[in-house]
Amino acid sequence: MEEKVYDVVIAGSGISGAILAKTLTNAGKSVLVLEAGLAEGIELDGPAAQKTYRGYLDRYYSVLARVPNSPYPAIKDALTANVLDIKPLKPGVPSTVGYLVQEGPSPFSSDCVRGAGGTTLHWLGTALRMLPNDFRIYSNYGQGVDWPIEYRHLEPYYEMAENEIGVAGEVAEQKIPNMGEGFFRKGYVFPMQKIPQSYLDIKVKERMENLEVQLNEKEYTLTCISTPQGRNSTPNTSYDIAGVKWDKAAKKLVVTKSNETYEPVGAIWNPHTGQRCEGNASCVPICPVQAKYNALKTLKAATRDKLCIIPQAVVSNLLINKETKAIEGMVYKVYKNGDSSEYTTSIAKGRVYVLAANAIENSKILLASNAANSSDQVGRNLMDHLVLLTWGSFPEKLFPYRGPGSTTNIPTFRDGEFRKDHAAWISPLDNWGWSWPTFSPGSDVSNAMNQNKFGKQLRQQINDVISRQILLHFECEQIPDPENRVMICEKYKDQLGNYLPVIRYSVSDYMRRSFEAAKKVSDQIFKACSVCDTTSYSKEFDPGFVEYNGKGYSYRGAGHIVGTHRMGSDKNCSVVDTDMRTWDHGNLFLAGCGNMPTLGTSNPTLTMAALTFKAAEAILNQLEK
Amino acid sequence: MSSPFQKSNPRRQKLVPEVDVLPVAQDKFLLVKQDELLLEKHPKSTITTLESLREHLQLAIELEHATIPPYLCALYSIKEGTNLVPSAIIRSVVMEEMLHMTLAANMLNAIGGSPNIRGELFIPDYPTYLPHSDKAFKVGLGKFSREAIETFLKIERPAATDQPPQAHHYHTIGQFYQAIRIGLKYVEANSGSTIFTGDPSWQITPEQYYGGGGRILAIRSLADALEAVDEIEGQGEGIDGTINDPDHKLFGDDIEYAHYFKFNEIYHERFYTEKDSPQSPPSGNKIEVDWSGVYNMQPNPKMRQYKKDSELWNKSYEFNKAYMALLDNLHRAFNGKPETIVESAILMYKLKYLAVELMKTPVEGGPYTAGPTFEYV
Repeated sequence: MEEKVYDVVIAGSGISGAILAKTLTNAGKSVLVLEAGLAEGIELDGPAAQKTYRGYLDRYYSVLARVPNSPYPAIKDALTANVLDIKPLKPGVPSTVGYLVQEGPSPFSSDCVRGAGGTTLHWLGTALRMLPNDFRIYSNYGQGVDWPIEYRHLEPYYEMAENEIGVAGEVAEQKIPNMGEGFFRKGYVFPMQKIPQSYLDIKVKERMENLEVQLNEKEYTLTCISTPQGRNSTPNTSYDIAGVKWDKAAKKLVVTKSNETYEPVGAIWNPHTGQRCEGNASCVPICPVQAKYNALKTLKAATRDKLCIIPQAVVSNLLINKETKAIEGMVYKVYKNGDSSEYTTSIAKGRVYVLAANAIENSKILLASNAANSSDQVGRNLMDHLVLLTWGSFPEKLFPYRGPGSTTNIPTFRDGEFRKDHAAWISPLDNWGWSWPTFSPGSDVSNAMNQNKFGKQLRQQINDVISRQILLHFECEQIPDPENRVMICEKYKDQLGNYLPVIRYSVSDYMRRSFEAAKKVSDQIFKACSVCDTTSYSKEFDPGFVEYNGKGYSYRGAGHIVGTHRMGSDKNCSVVDTDMRTWDHGNLFLAGCGNMPTLGTSNPTLTMAALTFKAAEAILNQLEK
Repeated sequence: MSSPFQKSNPRRQKLVPEVDVLPVAQDKFLLVKQDELLLEKHPKSTITTLESLREHLQLAIELEHATIPPYLCALYSIKEGTNLVPSAIIRSVVMEEMLHMTLAANMLNAIGGSPNIRGELFIPDYPTYLPHSDKAFKVGLGKFSREAIETFLKIERPAATDQPPQAHHYHTIGQFYQAIRIGLKYVEANSGSTIFTGDPSWQITPEQYYGGGGRILAIRSLADALEAVDEIEGQGEGIDGTINDPDHKLFGDDIEYAHYFKFNEIYHERFYTEKDSPQSPPSGNKIEVDWSGVYNMQPNPKMRQYKKDSELWNKSYEFNKAYMALLDNLHRAFNGKPETIVESAILMYKLKYLAVELMKTPVEGGPYTAGPTFEYV
């Protein structure tokens, strides 16, 4: 049988793979998507899709420790990072507990979903744009690197991404330091009105809005703004973008307009389910009404007869023509079921190849293929938002868990001169009590039981403790460090013979200074709001415990796996160009957060989606040549 | 402009037999003439005044509403985790009935009426005949069962082409809506100007309405109203048995079809396939139906059977209070405060939780569990 040569072969069906598949097939190109996850995950229609989702829910309900990956199958043939595998590291001894082999000295603390739809299955949904200064952090503050493009270059693609994800938000409330004129196009609105801010947010805001805090002899006025997010809400009748289309004559992607009211995209098995967020607080790990965006919604909108998806297909390496350096095939192993080590090896052929398998997987595949690495940057500059949590008891009841995970943020420290000294951060207000740091409410119950409380007394105590819980959350921007990296090693392979990622990772003083600064801000907030601070960081139990100036802080992962194949204008110190084409191979593109030279203080999904539209445009131009 | 309704089967409503298809007449006089002829031919289709049209649209609201409690009882009696496909099917039908009810309210508001969604008379006393029907069969509250599905099939039975439009004592719901369609055209043509004089800001729009079996359509003209009637008919009964359209896929993946056929799938425990015809039972893949995965709800329960202030009386009262709150909410939404309809989602969840709680509670001295009574309190 003659093998089919597709226009484009894509590894991965997460948000990047899905946007590419949709955009390229809708432009008439034939696309093959290879997805490492189980076949059931790629069901896009009717009862089969609903059954898969039901299975995720059942798995979630049946586990004791509920973490972001709880609902999704853990399989041996395509292993996934899991936050439960993150343990305190011993110096000099790599941890091999989970999928990630952690060399340390500090653990990389984030996970992802390795399956159809990717990490958008468990993402929170926060959809923030990066700030103009994030794109020139080296020029402005002497840290990290500048991007090879400016904010204004990405702005039109942000609009495409916000359309694709279906962002609910209020443009007028987005007042962010140094956002500048034209951050949003004049007259621009989000597809849907903002998600109503939770009761907790309103109560906290009453005490916190316009609070003056001091940091390093400077005064800052805190503000609380609504957070744009990818979950369905009331359509904004002023929104007029219908979708994204390839304009062949103009050689670019354009947005199409419509007079009809925007229609929120519901569950893949039933468009009328999930048309509005219903305020459940279990968005992470799974939205029980499917009002939250996930990449399967995008994939479902691809042109079906142009799209072929092979599930249970783990990409292991690329075949490279020795003369031309062009990619000649993508090698993948199709496993029989999730845990058997039985598999068959095949080669996918295309005119263009894209790795959209997430930052860690992409660099693993590139390293295994000895591809795209003339700059020696593949796998380097691995980043995450390092999350410092502080928590306490609020003087009045806040009733957490009503409404989605987070609907408000404090943008005050997203940009400023302080970035010369320590990392910037964003502070989302969390609506999840102390569940993240203390495994509340389970731990609250055991505490009360240990105090011999039972019956009515127990109920009263639980009611009092949980309804006052407040959690602050400082997502500090990790600066790229070439020594924070993904590597491969012959010693560490899975049962299909694919490499496990070996991670070397440390937390710089620049980051530690931001923990110190964030804690100082937290202390002032808690004092001003009369919050009884119960924060504690444990050297013994917290895997992310670090010290600075004689004090200890524990960071956690934000699930933002970024860097590893950065974009740049110089092929000697970057992996891809501004089209996200690898410098070394003319027909190999990379998609995903790995392309981002720096992280900024926004959750990276929206930026990744915007960059992916830009990549799709470049791929279409290349195919049309 | 494309239809705002479910995109998956744009021709669904067109498959309803049109009675004496009228050409789109530019000449109003001609249209009146034709409608008069129609009325002569169909003497039972006697909606000739604005007042009568308003009454019939109010009746349409009551009719759509009357089907919802029986469908909800069947849906809520299904135990969590069983009967996934039947649940999804019944749920989709309920959602569409709610859409129809809201479309009827929009139509009534559009012609200057005021929908009434509350009061003792609005609420059927189950088991009951469908409001204003020919009293051929009764509809009751009960658990998910073959018998229940048989009744649902009767409710949604397609009108045959030899059945005339009928404003009173109709045999099928289709006849009733055909009478409304003729009435809309007739009264509009004879109005001198237009009957669509209602306050447009009273319309429920897609901004407020969601999740209910399709997109809501704000009604501002005869064309909008006719489209709404088409959609109600298309979803409700859809394909007439005599229509044979070999070029068009009637069944299969991604095709939304009418309620009758959806219920027929449950009844026969099989999906329709692309090759099936409306005349034969579905022949596709098996649907997992577990007739025993159900709470054994007592048929047509009433509050009066419980002692006042007993547990079941209190639970039933609480349920009915929530039901009244929902109807009040809808009444406000349909009478000038469309934005309040968003609150009904919360009330509907409350209704569900309370109903399931009743379903789980045994009734003393018998094989049954309690169930929602859907009574006026």
